[in-house]
Amino acid sequence: MDPSEVEFLAEKEMVKIIPNFSLDKIYLIGGDLGPFNPGLPVDVPVWLALNFKQRQKCRVVPPEWMDVEKLEEMRDLERKEVAFTAVPSPYYMELTKLLLNHASDNIPKADEIRTLVKDIWDTRIAKLRCSADSFISQQEAHAQLDNLTLMEINTIRAFLLDSLNSMYKLRSNLQPGSSKGQFLDY
Amino acid sequence: MDTQSYVPVQPGVGMEENFLSLDDILLSHERLPIRTECIFPRLGFLEKSGDTQDIPEGTKMELPLWLTKGLYERKKKVLSVELPKVYREGWRTVFNADPKVVDLHKMGPYYYGLGSQMLHFDSPENLEIAQTLLQTFIGRFRRTMDSSQNAYNEDTSVLVERLDCLEKNLFRSGQSGLHGFQSWEKGQASQLTASSLVLNYRKRKLADVQP
Repeated sequence: MDPSEVEFLAEKEMVKIIPNFSLDKIYLIGGDLGPFNPGLPVDVPVWLALNFKQRQKCRVVPPEWMDVEKLEEMRDLERKEVAFTAVPSPYYMELTKLLLNHASDNIPKADEIRTLVKDIWDTRIAKLRCSADSFISQQEAHAQLDNLTLMEINTIRAFLLDSLNSMYKLRSNLQPGSSKGQFLDY
Repeated sequence: MDTQSYVPVQPGVGMEENFLSLDDILLSHERLPIRTECIFPRLGFLEKSGDTQDIPEGTKMELPLWLTKGLYERKKKVLSVELPKVYREGWRTVFNADPKVVDLHKMGPYYYGLGSQMLHFDSPENLEIAQTLLQTFIGRFRRTMDSSQNAYNEDTSVLVERLDCLEKNLFRSGQSGLHGFQSWEKGQASQLTASSLVLNYRKRKLADVQP
């Protein structure tokens, strides 16, 4: 899966905007949006919010978790815990990037938020790598991936799947007879 | 991220080979030390060291893996296969002690592939060989993972040169994940690019098409 596909999925998340125009309810296949009244906050998907924002038709209200204090708390918790902690949004990385790139003037302390989210991401990736290593070295059969987000899984997916495949084959060497059938073809 | 217009067939790694995998074809040309257990009549011209008409019983020579696999039979002794040095007791101890320091490219470069293929020939040490292969892979996993997930925009030849062919493939898939993520983060992923197929496309000349 390509990161841009993950980003595409993230664009379905809802975000609050304050429009500066008025428009009736719009009816889309994915659901009805609006009505839009100047100054009244309304929930729309990220893709629409960014579209409006780029045409300067709205102000984006950052999600609740996109706040320096909350993110600092999260970062400290993430560093303290051994397991993955719960993230505020399953698309936190993608949303941060999208909103900060296109609507940074509506988000207070955008630079600090960017750094904090990157810190959280790095901590989580390091943890992910650690747990992948112990998963391999203890030859576990299954692992529980609580609180991992799609983007995080996506960065390691190709590598982990390939190595698990190879390891499975090397391990099946240990049981003679399991693959003797193929040899008889000669 | 480099995209290819075809997907190469991955090596089989285990005891079976993938017929269409280039790595496995190269692997089947690895030479194994063998000892003949019966006379090979009128094949003396193949063995350059002696000038007899037949290859006598008990000759030591090297045969490629594909030929050895074809000639080897469990019931009728045609030839016996000796273990290559890297799979013998001495080297196995080295691998078990610290797999990380060994230069598998020099030892192999198909260490895992050939090792798995050796299990076709009934040797009393088969179980230990399989065990060592697995432990070596596990021991080296962390280093392969870390280097492939962290080396961005730098020369990877130093990291890759000591890896086995199998690990090199893993390294490559790790790098593709990293590159995909990095190019997304930098915003390169949102730029549309022409497919490599289109770039390589040339107009056919009429002279080439006509018989």
